[in-house]
Amino acid sequence: MGAGNTIRILDGNTFVVSEDTGDIEATPSEPTGLFSIDTRFLSKWVLTVNGERLNSLSYDDLQYYEARFFLVPGMATHYTDAKLSIIRERTVGGSFREQLTILNHDENPVDLEIRMDAGSDFADLFQVKDEILNKKGEIYAEVEPDRLRLGYRRGNFTRETMISSSAPARFDREGFAYSIHLEPNEQWETRIDVHTAALGPGGRDLRIGLRVHGTERLALQHDLEKWIADAPKVNSQHGRVASTYKRSLIDLAALRFSPLSLGGATLPAAGLPWFMTMFGRDSILTCLQTLPFTPQLSKTTLRILAALQGTRFDDFRDEDPGRILHEMRYGETAAFEEQPHSPYYGSVDATPLFLVLLDEYEKWSGDVALVMELEQESRAALRWIDDYADLVGNGYIWYERRNTDTGLENQCWKDSWDSISYSDGRLPPFPRATCEVQGYAYDAKMRAARLARQFWNDPAFADQLEREAAELKQRFNRDWWVADGEYFALALDPDGRQCDVLSSNIGHLLWSGIVDHDRAEKIAHHLVGPRLFSGWGVRTLAEGEVRYNPIGYHNGTIWPFDNSFIAWGLRRYGFAEEAATIANGILDAATYFDGRLPEAFGGYQRELTKFPVEYPTACSPQAWSTGTPLLLLRTMLGLEPHEGHLSVEPRLPVGMGRIEVLDIPGRWGRVDAFARGRLDLHKLGD
Amino acid sequence: MLDATTRFFEELDRKGYEPRLAKTVGSLRVDLREGPQTTHWLMRIDRGRVEVSQEDQEADTVIGTSPTLFEDIAAGREHGIAALLRGDMTVMGDARLVVQVERIFPGDPDARGPRRRFQREVR
Repeated sequence: MGAGNTIRILDGNTFVVSEDTGDIEATPSEPTGLFSIDTRFLSKWVLTVNGERLNSLSYDDLQYYEARFFLVPGMATHYTDAKLSIIRERTVGGSFREQLTILNHDENPVDLEIRMDAGSDFADLFQVKDEILNKKGEIYAEVEPDRLRLGYRRGNFTRETMISSSAPARFDREGFAYSIHLEPNEQWETRIDVHTAALGPGGRDLRIGLRVHGTERLALQHDLEKWIADAPKVNSQHGRVASTYKRSLIDLAALRFSPLSLGGATLPAAGLPWFMTMFGRDSILTCLQTLPFTPQLSKTTLRILAALQGTRFDDFRDEDPGRILHEMRYGETAAFEEQPHSPYYGSVDATPLFLVLLDEYEKWSGDVALVMELEQESRAALRWIDDYADLVGNGYIWYERRNTDTGLENQCWKDSWDSISYSDGRLPPFPRATCEVQGYAYDAKMRAARLARQFWNDPAFADQLEREAAELKQRFNRDWWVADGEYFALALDPDGRQCDVLSSNIGHLLWSGIVDHDRAEKIAHHLVGPRLFSGWGVRTLAEGEVRYNPIGYHNGTIWPFDNSFIAWGLRRYGFAEEAATIANGILDAATYFDGRLPEAFGGYQRELTKFPVEYPTACSPQAWSTGTPLLLLRTMLGLEPHEGHLSVEPRLPVGMGRIEVLDIPGRWGRVDAFARGRLDLHKLGD
Repeated sequence: MLDATTRFFEELDRKGYEPRLAKTVGSLRVDLREGPQTTHWLMRIDRGRVEVSQEDQEADTVIGTSPTLFEDIAAGREHGIAALLRGDMTVMGDARLVVQVERIFPGDPDARGPRRRFQREVR
């Protein structure tokens, strides 16, 4: 869903998407509604005054959890004559609350019929973009004197929406109404509460005891203020970087999500609107991006992913012992096993990335206790890499789904069906192995070796892991190098043939450290060269490849998160200027989106479009796009935990001026970092 | 012949230690209701050490379901989390304990598992 003129507010996995009047009239092409735990609880929410729809004068999304709409009756052309104004103020935080205020500006009294049409299709999030023809359960509406109860029942699975009002209302099966009389300059108000329920047979809600903060507006506000106060402050000479940082920090707060099994602690959900849930890959990568700023997210993410680590073989869920989950869902299709997300394990990168995050987290926080706590899970993850992921038996991580109906074909971050191809455009058979995942495995083993040696008191295991990592690196640099193009292949097919396209994935290889030093410069050149770099960022697939399309989801668009890891990788190998070039392009792009980077934008050349073209159905805010400016800051400032202290080695482009990051938390307490733009990015075209 | 439920709990009690519960402390009672009759299984977990009894005593977490569904879960034919989401199994008390204990139930006996190419099994 494009941003369009829909208004979204959210808190954790409860969110409202509406028109700019505040109305909700869901259709497959306009998937508006009130959503919670992957279920739509309102698909219709339409306000009328004397039978007339309202028109929006303006709206404010004041905070991520609240919005305000100023409305008048009638069509846009009439509103200057309006003698009536209507204000809808709404808050979402566990439940949904709307304050309705009506003001009479006329010199005469008025009698008004106020009506809200309310209804719900109780669609599973997986169904909202489809016409729902045969819902398997029964939808009901029960009118009580003081409330309307909308419900859906399928066996013991019950979801209910309860609507009540502070001013007395007449409830019927399709909504509720008020008849009011307003004297001149008089105003009338009511508070409407919409409560969502996920009930079991005992009438108990599935989510009892889960809220971290109250649903009251003040509690939400207090929580947000604390979140911002606890994070480092960023000041920048031109204000631009500082405002992008602030936007990201607030969006991260909005995307926090408390899963059922963690007793209220939070981790980043993947993104609004389709991914307000726990994703192994997205949550881990977001944590890696945000570690210097909001380290508490990493601890909860590691714990919850460890708690749900695979323990058995389950073909429907693509679960193996030691495997880290891909996606958890709470809706009807997961409950009735029409979709495998309870949870689904079909990802091959989450498991090695789990180890990468644990090590990186310890380097920043010094939280040895967590490294000890997660030793067994870490060992199980390493066993998964060696025992269950090597489907060809040649020392790489491969994937081939066992759930051939609803499982994922591509289990890497580029998970669309056509993302992995040969240079002639054909798609390879399964199992497939993509390059960046081998890098993650290398990094995971190197980092786990450090943990084994320093904390688990197992130097023999550390030696073994380092030996295996060294062999992997050697093997990888031999098997994946595309000799005539001088870069690494995107993937291998089961016969060892290379998917020899030039892709952004090679940037992740630098981040993981698997690239032989004498080849790093070639890779760096490709990443900022004309085929991959658009002027804004690195394309997922290089211009000139058969499947290249500037708005191809994983075949040519630019993903901000991808670029942040590429920049980190460039910096790791000493290519500070190239890293700054990418950081500069992405941060420039962010200003066109008011500091909120979308999931992806078009791969068009910067000179051609002058502004970044948003990918049509991109999710926003999305966690790893939100985390991108934070990782770019880290990269440009050269923030690295080093033997217990924080080293700062800034390499900033000239135009960025002075940047300061204050109160960076870590094992050192809190320290500040300062930087001034000195790099002349002669490579930039503009 | 013993049913899968009894086998599951007796085996757990006999082992006395379950490494996948090494970080878990708490008690969980399973109430299996069938008409007027309710069978109880009580697990006391202390950092991996597990004691099982059939006492009807207070617990941090109480799971309620039918003996038939639980039999399928204990045999690996049904999935605990999905049953919970469906409302076919209810939870009172600390939900974290359920998620931890759910992981020790067996997988589907017919699961194929990952296989190496040319049908060489990995598992």
